[in-house]
Amino acid sequence: MDADRIVALVTAAGIELTDRRRNVKGDGWSLSFASGATVEVGDDGTVRVAGKGAKAVISLLDLSIPARGT
Amino acid sequence: MTRSFGLALFSSTLALCAAISASAAQPGDPPPGIAKIETVVVIFAENRAFDNLYGHFPGADGIDKASEESLRQRDRDGSVLSELPPVWDGLTAKGVTPPVTQAMTEHLANQPFTVNDAKGFNVPLTVVTHDLWHRYYQNQMQINGGKNDMFVAWGDSGAMPMSNWDTSKGDMWAVAQKYVLADHFFMGGFGGSFFNHQWLICACAPYYANADKSPAKPSIAVTDDSGTALKIADNSPKSARDGIPKFVSDGNLTPDFYAVNTMQPPYQPSGNDPAAGGDPLLADPAKPTTLPPQSEPTIGDMLSLKHVTWAWYSGAWQYTLDHGNHTPMPNFQYHHQPFNYYANYAPGTEARREHLRDAGLSGVSFIQAIDDGVLPQVSFYKPQGNLNEHSGYADIQAGDRHIADVVAHLEKSPQWPHMLVVVTYDENGGIWDHVAPPKGDRWGPGTRIPAIIVSPFAKHGYVDHTPYDTTSILRLITERFELPVLHGIVVRDRAVAANGEPPLGDLTGGLDLN
Repeated sequence: MDADRIVALVTAAGIELTDRRRNVKGDGWSLSFASGATVEVGDDGTVRVAGKGAKAVISLLDLSIPARGT
Repeated sequence: MTRSFGLALFSSTLALCAAISASAAQPGDPPPGIAKIETVVVIFAENRAFDNLYGHFPGADGIDKASEESLRQRDRDGSVLSELPPVWDGLTAKGVTPPVTQAMTEHLANQPFTVNDAKGFNVPLTVVTHDLWHRYYQNQMQINGGKNDMFVAWGDSGAMPMSNWDTSKGDMWAVAQKYVLADHFFMGGFGGSFFNHQWLICACAPYYANADKSPAKPSIAVTDDSGTALKIADNSPKSARDGIPKFVSDGNLTPDFYAVNTMQPPYQPSGNDPAAGGDPLLADPAKPTTLPPQSEPTIGDMLSLKHVTWAWYSGAWQYTLDHGNHTPMPNFQYHHQPFNYYANYAPGTEARREHLRDAGLSGVSFIQAIDDGVLPQVSFYKPQGNLNEHSGYADIQAGDRHIADVVAHLEKSPQWPHMLVVVTYDENGGIWDHVAPPKGDRWGPGTRIPAIIVSPFAKHGYVDHTPYDTTSILRLITERFELPVLHGIVVRDRAVAANGEPPLGDLTGGLDLN
């Protein structure tokens, strides 16, 4: 999944994109949304969701929620 | 302005007497009888253009009265689109019933379409549909100098801006029929919710000092030479039929550091968590989307200055502080709480305790205050997310019914005989409307939105054509309670006059205060 696709799916659900920038390493994008969710998406397609609104974003992106403690 | 019209009814003799009387009403003075209004309630819903909900309201300047020219959308090169592009990713999201996929929205005619048309998509008012860009620069690009013909071209949702709904069976439609529907009410600022909530309380653009040396530096927008449009990226699709436009930098801050798109409050509840090891009541200031505390005077400050009681009632405010946010309910929206950006209402202040109140889940505490007749002189009510009618996460019917229920309680309140209620929307949500906004200042007004005036003083069954914008609410409050005028209102009035536009009213055009 790429950054454009993630932005399209999340913003269509009314969760506004508030920040988009290349990450510090330069190997992916850091996305921030108005719900408080942040999405780190690598150029290799890896996706990591965190922050207050993470659960809703994970659901929108059809990602599985990692088990706690792993 | 409507308040001066009554003078024309006087005879010349009376007019002469008025002219020499120090106490006579002058243009710009509050209308006679305004002191009869003792309680003002502002209900602020989300993201609907006037034509989107009330485009077929009898007697209103609706879609039926739009010119052929204003109905047709143009492509990015200025040519008229032969058909609308599809709604990218579909009109409803995956998993939503009924499914309306992107493929089902191909080849729509270049004209408005009704989402709940039984002969069309037949999507009921209970269904959440695709959200649309509703951002500061895009809104100006879409309005295109008043032609309103670039909503599709500079949107991110294909045909979606041309959508509307038949709400004639809705509860608030009936309220509008009973009281006053203002059909020339425009959003105070261009763009989205964050900015228009600021305009509701401050008539100002928030500011991020030294943003170019801050974590927010990459969020500074890059505009073209006009300063009112974003600079288009080289790899942007040339036609709206080929995809969503791309810009060099579609940031939250203007090149001179005003915050015009969504930034997070510096205080909790905020979308940005506290800094690790930092004050748990604050948002992490190192996050690029955390706005520093603001210090411009607000209408709250003015009311407090004159010892007028007031409160901002927010649905699910305390729930979110205590339990965190949850979706789909209450889906609290951090950037819909404008006073939470201001140092005067920082955590720990007496002003915060007194004025920023929890409306409860589904507004239950606010409704209790209504029923008990204990509302302050001025109340703002912000419904929680799932009840605010915002595309993408809320449907229209839930919010419409909720707000109509609140209005029904207000009508039965002990305070009702001297009450004025304004039900409006913060902004258009990226949705097309056919009426050109008045030419104002750098910040707005933007697209036309619905506004309903509910009061025992309201003319019944009346459509008020007076031009208003969000700052008209502030004009009314300022006049009624004899407050100092916020600077942004003065600037807006001067700009409107300089552009040869009729003055923006104070919401009394639909009232009979005699």
